[in-house]
Amino acid sequence: MKKLLKSIFSMMFAVVLALGMTACGGGTGDGGEGDSGAVDSEGNTIVKIMFHVDKSSTEGQAYQKRINAFNNAYKDKNIKAQGVFKARSAGASGYETELLNNQLEGTLADIITFDAPNTAAYAKSGLLYDISSLISAEEQAKFYSLNKYEGKLYGLPIQESSAGFYYNKKIFRQAGIDVSAFSAENPWTFAQFKEVCSRLKAHCEIAAVDMRIDATKDETAPYLLYPFIYAAGGDFTSGDGYTATGYYDSAATAKGFQFIKDLISSGYTSYAIGPTDFFTGKVGMYLSSGWTIPDLDNKYRDNFASRDDWGLLPYPKDVVAASATGSWSYAITNNHHTDKTAILELLKWMTSAESSKAITDATGMIPARNDVEKSYQPGSPEYTLLKQLELSGRERPVTVAYPTFSTTFNQVIAGLGNGDVSTLLTSATNTLQTEMNRLKNLK
Amino acid sequence: MLKTSIIILVLFLFAFGGFVLYDLATAKKRKEVYRVKSSATAYLMLLPAVILAFLFILLPILYSLGYAFTDYYLLRPNDINFIYLDNFKDFFEELATKGTLYNAIKNTLTFVIGVVPLQIGLALLLALFVNRPGIGSKIFKVCFFAPVVISLSVTAFLWEQILAPDAGGLLNSLLGVFGVPPRDWLRDPKTAMPCIIVLSAWQGCGYQMLIFLSGLSNIRKDLYEAASLDGANWWRKFWLVTWVGLRSTFVYILITVFIGACRILTQPMLMTGYMDHTVTLSYYMYNKGYTERWVGYSSAVALLMTIFIGGITLIQRRMFREEK
Repeated sequence: MKKLLKSIFSMMFAVVLALGMTACGGGTGDGGEGDSGAVDSEGNTIVKIMFHVDKSSTEGQAYQKRINAFNNAYKDKNIKAQGVFKARSAGASGYETELLNNQLEGTLADIITFDAPNTAAYAKSGLLYDISSLISAEEQAKFYSLNKYEGKLYGLPIQESSAGFYYNKKIFRQAGIDVSAFSAENPWTFAQFKEVCSRLKAHCEIAAVDMRIDATKDETAPYLLYPFIYAAGGDFTSGDGYTATGYYDSAATAKGFQFIKDLISSGYTSYAIGPTDFFTGKVGMYLSSGWTIPDLDNKYRDNFASRDDWGLLPYPKDVVAASATGSWSYAITNNHHTDKTAILELLKWMTSAESSKAITDATGMIPARNDVEKSYQPGSPEYTLLKQLELSGRERPVTVAYPTFSTTFNQVIAGLGNGDVSTLLTSATNTLQTEMNRLKNLK
Repeated sequence: MLKTSIIILVLFLFAFGGFVLYDLATAKKRKEVYRVKSSATAYLMLLPAVILAFLFILLPILYSLGYAFTDYYLLRPNDINFIYLDNFKDFFEELATKGTLYNAIKNTLTFVIGVVPLQIGLALLLALFVNRPGIGSKIFKVCFFAPVVISLSVTAFLWEQILAPDAGGLLNSLLGVFGVPPRDWLRDPKTAMPCIIVLSAWQGCGYQMLIFLSGLSNIRKDLYEAASLDGANWWRKFWLVTWVGLRSTFVYILITVFIGACRILTQPMLMTGYMDHTVTLSYYMYNKGYTERWVGYSSAVALLMTIFIGGITLIQRRMFREEK
């Protein structure tokens, strides 16, 4: 009996001891090679940078090449960059979970990449480091957009994006529609857009335009459709991002959503359009970002043998012109390391004109800096996207309650088919305002 | 967090150790030498399972309980404050606005009311249908059970194709033959939840069919012979022999299907997204906790949901116990 009791106690003690040792080993993560801000055996300061893509992807390889180039250039200064690649296997929220786990464990990288709409939430929560005084005004002016919150700079974009209406020139010719007068400098109006749709409808098997109104399970619909509301003179939140009432449910905002609803009611667009219907010639126009250009150039050769078969039109304007922007950005984190000198060197390197060009060459996106040489032919789709970005690009609402904004926007778009705009907007505004109040009261 | 977990684990181990020692001491006092030895061995063998169960089941529950009274915001894991009952107050205030939370509760109740009788009824019918000898019944058993083995996400995707809103969708094509115009089944508030109910019942009933089958195999054949001799027809045989024999199986199935139905999340998440006409309480909880990052509030909702499910389950058990 005594023996048995002894063995029970010994086992319990061993388990407790083992767990206790594990606990002591976890902790802060401020020692050893490879940890954030650590110094390796050769005396190099290690700076960790975390990316949201897989290392083997084209984009991941481009980042790695820039890191290798940095390590060669900063050999004499004893600074060494280490890339950590965490692919967004479960969407942006999966990457965010990884990021927060690292923060909790004290192993957060010195620089992270993050989706631009998260700027306010991350900055308010103290995840990001204020770099306003570290980046000169002259340098800041070289970027098309900046990740700012409450007047402070928290991040610099990796690349930029813009979207527009890809159109099938063959169907347009059949319908006798000439859109050559419309460009980023001279965008078409809401009325002209509707007119084109009405003439196009008879020549399309399914609908005139795929507006991606079906893509309401993620960020696709908010990213592509929010410019319509700005174009109609509407808005979503106040400047400080804490008031939705009076903005999200305003008459101008309702007008923007009503325009989309009218397109649905008239049968110009539909929730029933399949993901490849534009590429197979069943739909005349397709709203998408710049990442569709490589697909049209390389994948769908049966319908789009060359660039003579398709073109790109800007967003239509109403009261003002507005177009989609925003992509992922770099930020220095507020981890436990206070010396940011080496980290700043890496940030400047990764956001330099050379890095910007190298990365956008790999991704096909628009460089984040205006001093990067761009050799786009006037009239080409890339040129239209760039000009549109320069002339009418407007970012999504900057608010700490962005996830709720995105959810409610999706709910409104999904409800337009059967619901009334005013009712949908009242419900969306109440939900968003409740969330904003809760976040404002967060201690 | 790690330190807190270890402190809780140590306390738990001491409590468990204390219980073991008390049990062994009691046995020793009664001079049950054999029981002392066998119990000690049993407890020793149980220890790894107890530790694992504590780490992966009890500890998360304890944390969730604790978080329900805090303002834990996912982006501020190191700044958690105790806020008493504020989360519960927020819950009832939001419920009063008749917004998404109200819809989530309404949709969950609609789903439960729809799926529980449908799934159990289908399972019972299928069990009665295949409960006969022959190769045919074996083939049917496999066919009816097949949807259970398929992942719910795959099933949801398949049904999304069947219910596709265009004329190319399987259901719309079929109805098109009879001149019925295509409709957007999953976006229409009138049809979305019924579609999810039908899909869920179809997917789950195969499993309950197997449980009913095992219940049917326990009913003595001579009871049916006796009923036949007494001139009972098919319905009276079913009501007075089969149903009575299946009552305990039915209670088990009712409780498990009810609990599963209350927790529905995957189908609306994959098939419709976060829409007012299909959002459920679990989906609302998930969205609050992960997308909107309010872990504290989400834990409070989870606690209320657990109390609700537990309460209904107790009522169900009580009702059937009284009948017995």
